[in-house]
Amino acid sequence: MPDETDHADLEAELRQVLVQIDSVPPALLDAAVGAFAWRTIDADLAELVFDSLVDQDEAALVRSSGHGRMLSFRARTLTIEVEVTVTGHSRMMVGQLVPPQSATVDIRQGGSLITIEADDLGRFSAGPLQPGITSLRCHVGSDTPQSSVATDWVAI
Amino acid sequence: MEPAEITGLVRAAAGGDSDAWTKIVEHFSGLIWAITRGYRLASPDAADVFQTTWLRLAEHLDRIASPERLGAWLATTARRESLRIARSSARTVPALEATMVGLGHVDDHSPEQAVLDAEQAMLDSERARQLWRAFRELSGRCQQLLRVLMASPPPAYAEVAAALGMPVGSIGPSRARCLDRLRQMLADKVSVQLLCTHRHEKSRLESNSA
Repeated sequence: MPDETDHADLEAELRQVLVQIDSVPPALLDAAVGAFAWRTIDADLAELVFDSLVDQDEAALVRSSGHGRMLSFRARTLTIEVEVTVTGHSRMMVGQLVPPQSATVDIRQGGSLITIEADDLGRFSAGPLQPGITSLRCHVGSDTPQSSVATDWVAI
Repeated sequence: MEPAEITGLVRAAAGGDSDAWTKIVEHFSGLIWAITRGYRLASPDAADVFQTTWLRLAEHLDRIASPERLGAWLATTARRESLRIARSSARTVPALEATMVGLGHVDDHSPEQAVLDAEQAMLDSERARQLWRAFRELSGRCQQLLRVLMASPPPAYAEVAAALGMPVGSIGPSRARCLDRLRQMLADKVSVQLLCTHRHEKSRLESNSA
């Protein structure tokens, strides 16, 4: 059996090879540093609690209305249900706020922002959207200032 | 990095200190990248997982229950997001297949082979190229484990366990087994090469004497 020293030497060599071949791309490091500026400190966070892509349980069968991907984000006071359908390289989004209420919804993707309105029943739709990392930010209530809920980021 | 130092950075970043955030990114990026690459994601998908992981952390900074375990939190997030994207069939199907299928034998004209060729070209010595070829012939699970273990700076076992969804206790034995296998494959490659060189030399001598 080879001893620990042999392993250490081999590991050192492999580490060196991996550094040459597969270091973190500098542009990605910059983007990660820049992610800090995207914090929404004035909004409640709606965490991703269900994704039909990975949460394959019976709920998926019940909730799925068809071929779309179902996502559910939950905050203390608001749940945001979204179905994303794929058409070629674009994405269509249909959503529902629970409890139902009107709201202004910002769809954030990288540097771009699309603003849409949810109707009195909490329904909204958007698209075509680019594929990519996405977060929704909902401004709800008629009070001033409005309260905001931002979802976890997720790639669609 | 000591747990107390990590906790301090998380608290500072949660309070708006962007320098603390940058230090966190610099310290854990190697680990996150190694995880995404270990799941054999194509570059755009690996980039999405990497960025999603950091965007998630930015929003969760003031909600992390055990800041000293930040590395494990990040590793778990990166693993979950890697699996999520791998299953997103609407996105790159080849990435999904690459995730599921071990890279035992690659077709000469496959995208995998093109990637391998490009990687080979980045290495500066024949020894390094042999090591990389041997590495790429390991089982998918061994490649994944070794990539994460070799991340810079070297991750704690708790982080490796979170990255791969395996018990901490099995990391050491698996690490030794994968390295033994790598050494064996490397030795085979070297001996095959020596044999070829020897044959080439022999035939050259024979043709000279003819």
